[in-house]
Amino acid sequence: MTGQTQNLYHNKAGQWLCYIALFVVLALVPVFGAEPFQLNVYSRYAVYAMLAVSVSMVWGFGGILSLGQGIPYGLAAYCMGATMQMQYQTPDDPIPSFMLTNELTELPAVWEPFWSTSIGLILALGVPTLIMTIFGILMFQARLAGAFVAIMTLAILNAFYSMAQDLQPFTAGFNGISPPNPFTAFGVTIDPYSEMLYWINLGLLALVTLVSKYVLQSKFGTIVQATRDDAERVRFLGYSVSYFQVVVFVFAGLIATLAGIVWVMTVQYVSPTAFETPFSIYMVIWAAVGGRHSLFGAIVAAIVLNYLQTELADISEIWQKAWLLLLGGIFIAVVLLLPRGLAGLFEYLLGFIKIGRRQAAPGRIAAN
Amino acid sequence: MGVLLELKDLTKAYDTYAVVDRLNLTINEGELRCLIGPNGAGKTTTMDLITGRQKLTGGKVIFDGREINGLKENKIVRRGIGRKFQVPAVFKDLSVRENLEVAFNRNPDPFANMLMFFRRTDKQRFDEIVELIGLGERLGEKAGFLSHGETQWLEIGMVLTQNPRLLLMDEPTAGMTEQETLKTSEIFKRLKGAHTLVVVEHDMTFVRQIAETISVLHLGKLLAEGPMHQIENDPKVREVYLGAEGISDAA
Repeated sequence: MTGQTQNLYHNKAGQWLCYIALFVVLALVPVFGAEPFQLNVYSRYAVYAMLAVSVSMVWGFGGILSLGQGIPYGLAAYCMGATMQMQYQTPDDPIPSFMLTNELTELPAVWEPFWSTSIGLILALGVPTLIMTIFGILMFQARLAGAFVAIMTLAILNAFYSMAQDLQPFTAGFNGISPPNPFTAFGVTIDPYSEMLYWINLGLLALVTLVSKYVLQSKFGTIVQATRDDAERVRFLGYSVSYFQVVVFVFAGLIATLAGIVWVMTVQYVSPTAFETPFSIYMVIWAAVGGRHSLFGAIVAAIVLNYLQTELADISEIWQKAWLLLLGGIFIAVVLLLPRGLAGLFEYLLGFIKIGRRQAAPGRIAAN
Repeated sequence: MGVLLELKDLTKAYDTYAVVDRLNLTINEGELRCLIGPNGAGKTTTMDLITGRQKLTGGKVIFDGREINGLKENKIVRRGIGRKFQVPAVFKDLSVRENLEVAFNRNPDPFANMLMFFRRTDKQRFDEIVELIGLGERLGEKAGFLSHGETQWLEIGMVLTQNPRLLLMDEPTAGMTEQETLKTSEIFKRLKGAHTLVVVEHDMTFVRQIAETISVLHLGKLLAEGPMHQIENDPKVREVYLGAEGISDAA
């Protein structure tokens, strides 16, 4: 193989090893004895990391800049919030308190299905997936691309934000829903401050990441990346580009959906902030800083950036306020200096190691 | 040899101005047809109309006995029409090998492709094409690092990978050096016979090297059709297309 640059970064076995090592290390965190409160914070990071993976899939690999990953995330979170709220309600006391303060005398029909935890979970998975499928079909059949997709997703995200705010009797509006008890399924209560929850979140993060990684290495992944480079060429190779785009859009949406479900399990709270524009943009920033062409980078960046934010907020209020400036600065620096993010820098550095070895090799042979 | 492609009164008009004006053209199976004409003659538009990239405003495109106008682009491709674009279009972030593998399209369903890893690719055909386009040494390279000529060959290879019955080539030698053009004509001579080709080209040297039959378009209409020597001596063609050259000859 003459003239080929074999960067260690592109070694597939090596990549899988890195992913597995990452998850093993993360799984060991509770073993080193974290405080329950700290553990809950780490469980949140796992959710953020899932959202970064979701953006990396749809934007980094699919070339679809979605500023609306908060849509599936928020919808799932609200379904989960409703499920957990109804776990608390009893037939004698069927109406959540916020509805009573909004002068509802009966449980609204849309809330009825959430009496059942399994139906609630099915809805939490199904509603966002259905909405993303319809939305995706409408957008990609019309061959929307680039900034237009970003604007459309942003617009729909804000529509959901307004709905969550304004449909106060159903969503508790601005205050949000705070289910009094932790999530219980099959007789097991999942304490948000427990190691079990941390491992559930991390396990889900590992699952979505490894499935994504697998999908990307299949021919589907290569075709999706081809549509990112030149959609027209893919179309003229006989593929339905819109079909592939819808699938990757819904797939990434499903990851955000799972994130929304476990988020409410972690914080026992859901409010319109889930649909806020800045939050969906943070997800894009996490993926961009980590390197949008790398799931690994997206995960690491989401964890590190959020850890930094928490730590700085602990120092003083000024740091808490300065965080946005700092994050913006980091984002601009990455866009200008490292368009492929931290993963790109890593790839670049590994390239040097390879060259170093090549030069070293003949010397070693001579020494022998 | 049967008729493979037939254009009947093909028309594309913007308001009242027809870019392609009741064009009739017949391509036989196994033929290599060159389509020439001055700028704005409607050559690329004709290709767009055949492949469904633009919607026609009148007439019919009949491929292999069936009308294909109105079908979606990817469906037309799957009927067996491959196309190489004027501006070379390859996937710059993917390796040369991956580019060819994406082009190898047996099942276009996204979910089926999630279970597919490239080992199933038809190895023999893959090797043949790599040999033909001469990129065997560069399979691991990112397509973005290829030279202009290599990019053109890669795209030709990608279109060939699909094994189309009809190949439409839009200016395959545009921007190539003389040597690269020569290599391209070698590739085309090897394709002749086994494939049916329609080549749009400006480079008359290249056309001379490969052409059997030439169709000349002018203002969206078919002006003349025939072998090279006949076209060169056609007074109508000389007037509109080779006119400038004729005048300079006279001077």
